[in-house]
Amino acid sequence: MSWGLANEAAYCIRWLSAFELPGPTLLADLLELNDGLTMAEVSPVSLSGTWYGAANRLCPVITGAAMSDNALQLQSGNVFVLQNITQPLLLVPFAGSAALFLDTPVAIKWQGVSLTTDGRVLSIDGDQETLNVEFADTVACTVEASLADRINPIVRGELDDACKKRLSVFANRTFAPATEESRRLGAG
Amino acid sequence: MKAATDTTPVARRDPATVMRLARLGSMHQSRLSFMRVLTRRMHRENWRFSRPNFDIDDNGVGYAVYCAHSPQNTYSLVAFAHDLPVEKRSDRVIAQAWDATFTLFDGVPDTDDINRLSQNIPLQEAGRVTQNELSVSRANRSVRLWEHVVSSLCAGQQPDRQQVAAVGYLMRTTAVYGSGKLGAADRELIADRPEFAAPFQAEMLSVFLTRAFVRDLVQHMADARGGARSVKLDPDIARAMGIGNSTGLGMAPFILNHPQLFNNWILAREEAIARVCNVVTASTDEIALFHELLARTVLSVKLWHTEHPVQLEKLASLQADLAALKTCVSATDLTCNHPWNRLYLWVENNLGIDAQECLASLMLEPYGYLVDELETHMADNTANTFHINGAMPIDQLSSLLQKHYYWALDIDWNARKNYARAWYVSAEKLEPRLGERFKEPIANYEQPLAPARDAARLFASLRNWPAESTLAEFLLHHPEHRHTVRRVQIISHAPYAEIRDNTISADMLPIDMLRCKLAFFGATHFDPRSDRWVRICMYANAPYPEELSNHDADYWPYPQLEESGS
Repeated sequence: MSWGLANEAAYCIRWLSAFELPGPTLLADLLELNDGLTMAEVSPVSLSGTWYGAANRLCPVITGAAMSDNALQLQSGNVFVLQNITQPLLLVPFAGSAALFLDTPVAIKWQGVSLTTDGRVLSIDGDQETLNVEFADTVACTVEASLADRINPIVRGELDDACKKRLSVFANRTFAPATEESRRLGAG
Repeated sequence: MKAATDTTPVARRDPATVMRLARLGSMHQSRLSFMRVLTRRMHRENWRFSRPNFDIDDNGVGYAVYCAHSPQNTYSLVAFAHDLPVEKRSDRVIAQAWDATFTLFDGVPDTDDINRLSQNIPLQEAGRVTQNELSVSRANRSVRLWEHVVSSLCAGQQPDRQQVAAVGYLMRTTAVYGSGKLGAADRELIADRPEFAAPFQAEMLSVFLTRAFVRDLVQHMADARGGARSVKLDPDIARAMGIGNSTGLGMAPFILNHPQLFNNWILAREEAIARVCNVVTASTDEIALFHELLARTVLSVKLWHTEHPVQLEKLASLQADLAALKTCVSATDLTCNHPWNRLYLWVENNLGIDAQECLASLMLEPYGYLVDELETHMADNTANTFHINGAMPIDQLSSLLQKHYYWALDIDWNARKNYARAWYVSAEKLEPRLGERFKEPIANYEQPLAPARDAARLFASLRNWPAESTLAEFLLHHPEHRHTVRRVQIISHAPYAEIRDNTISADMLPIDMLRCKLAFFGATHFDPRSDRWVRICMYANAPYPEELSNHDADYWPYPQLEESGS
C-alpha cells in the first residue's frame, strides 16, 4: 500500500473506532489477505458500470478512495455498485468523506445491512455479525436524503494487543534497520 | 512588497518569497507566537495561580503541583523531581531518565491521580497517561548554570549575571508532548475551550508553569545546602531566565505533515504584516514603542549566544543590519505615508533576510488592536482535509502543479546532490532521521517527506494522460501519487501550505525547519548544535505566574534595557 493509501487507511480505522466498530481488526485482516498482491490486482478495473476487481476481489481501501474521489457522481443520482468486496465495513469512512464533501448523507448497503453517514455521525441498520463480514457479493453506495438514529462518535477508541501486534508487523516494514553508519550520520 | 498608494492596498507577501527555507529558518517570534497568545490571555482574564504541593526533599527528590486558574477551569502542572546520575543525562528522545518530569493535568489531581502519575510520568514514553492529562514533558538541568546558581545562593550571593546570560536557562525540556501522545487527551477534546483555541496552548502553559517550578526548585536546593546563609534569587535575574529546549529532527516532519495548519500560521502572520504595512499614519506612542523595542531587540541579539559557525555568521550579519536599521529609522519620518511599508521596503532592499523577518515581527508590536485577533485563525479545525476531488480534469491538476510547484519542476532530479538525502524512521528507536541515500541502505524505507520530488514525479506521470481524463481515473492507476495530489489540492486554497525548497537535497538544513516552527511557538536565542539539532529559550524575560498582573504581559520577549547583562 502506498503512503497516500496508508494515510487513508489510517483515517478509515480511526473513524470506525470512533463508532466502536472493529476497523483495526478488519484492516489487519485486509493487509494479511492481500499481502504480496499488487494494488492493481484488487482495484476496480473500471469506474463505469459495476465495479469489480481484476482478481475478482476488491480491496475496500482503494475502492473506498475511488468512491470518495468520485463523490460528485453520486450527486446526480448515480449509484456505485461494487462486486466481491472484502471487509466492506472499511468502505464506510470513505462514504463519510464523500458525505462531508457533498454536504449530504451517503449510504453503504450490503446483504441486509445499511450504514448511513453525514461524515460526522452514523446510522446503522442491520446486525453486528453482518456488519463485520469478511466478504460481500454486492455493495451499493448512494446519496441519501437524511439519516435517523444517529450514533455520535466517541473520542478514544480501543485497540487490543493481538490486533496491535498484527498491524505492527506491517508498520515494522517501514522502519529502517540501524547500522553504525546510519546512527552516526542521521541521529537527531 | 510594493509601495503603497492611496488606492491600492499593500497585498500579503508572495508565497514564492515567504516559503523559502532560508527565510523560514530566519524567523523571529512575534505577537502571534503561541507563548505570547497565552500570556496575553492569562493577563487579560486575570488568571490566578497556586501551589498546593511542594514535597521535595533536601536531595531535590519529590513532587510538586502548580495550579493555573482561568475563569472557567483549573489546570495543574504535576512535576516530579529526580536525582539523576550524570551518566544518564541525555537530550535524546531515547533517554530513559531525566532531572525532572511533568504532566499538565486537566483539573486538580487527587491522591489517586498523583499516585498513578508518579508511576508513569517519570517513565515518560515507557508509561501511559489518560485523557485527564493534556501534556507530558521532561527536562534536564543545564549542569554548569544550575551548580553556579545553587552554590552562589547558598553562599549568600546572587549568581553572576553574565554566566546566567551565557546559558539563559536552568533547565531545558527535551520533549513537550500533547495531542494524544502516550494516551493524553486528543486536541479534539479540548479544542472548543477558548483558552485552547489557538495552537499548542496546553504545551505552552505547561512550560510556563515548569519555569516557575524550576525557579522554586533551584531556590529549594540552595536553601537546603546553605541553610540560614542562603539568599533568595533576585527576581530580575530569575525573570531573565527561560526554559530551554533541545529540539531535534523529530519536530521537522511536522510542518510537512500538516500543510493546512502550517498555512494558517504563516497566513496569519503575513496578514498581520500586510495590515501594518497598510497603516497610513503612525502615532507618537506607536513610534516611540517601536524605537524602544528596536533598542531592546539590539540588546537581545547581543545576549544571543552560540558556537555554531552558521549561526555566528547570521548573528554578525543581523547585528550589523540592526545597526543600519537603527540609523535608517532615526533619519526617517515615521508619522505618515505608510511608514511601516516604506521601512519594510527599505529593509527588503538593503538588509539580509534575518533582519527583514526581525523587522516584520517588530513592526507588528504597536498594532495589537489590528493584529491580535488573527490568533483565532491559526488553528486548523477543518474536518475534511483528506478529501480528494477526483472530478478534476488532468489538465487542471497539471496547471495547478505548474502554478504552485514550478520551482520543484525546475530542479534537475537526475543530479545526485538533489536527492542525496532520505528521511526515514529507525527500527532501533523509532526516531525520525535524515540519512544519506547513497551511503546507507535506507532508500527502501523512505518516508514521504519530499514534496518537491514527488510533485515532479506526479507532473511527469500526468503527461502521459489525456488532458480531459479525470483525476479519479488517474489515481486508480497511480495510487502512489495520492499523497501528492492531496497537497496540490490543498495548496490551491492554502497558498502558504508548501515549503518551496527541496527537502532531500544534499545541503538542506533541517534547523531551518525547526527554527520556523519554534519561532511560532515564541522561542528565542536559537543556538544550533548541528545542522539538525538546536537549543532555544522559551519565556526568557517573561513574568512569573504571580507577576502576570503587574508586569508586562506583552512585550516581555524584549529584554529591558536597564538590565543589560553583558
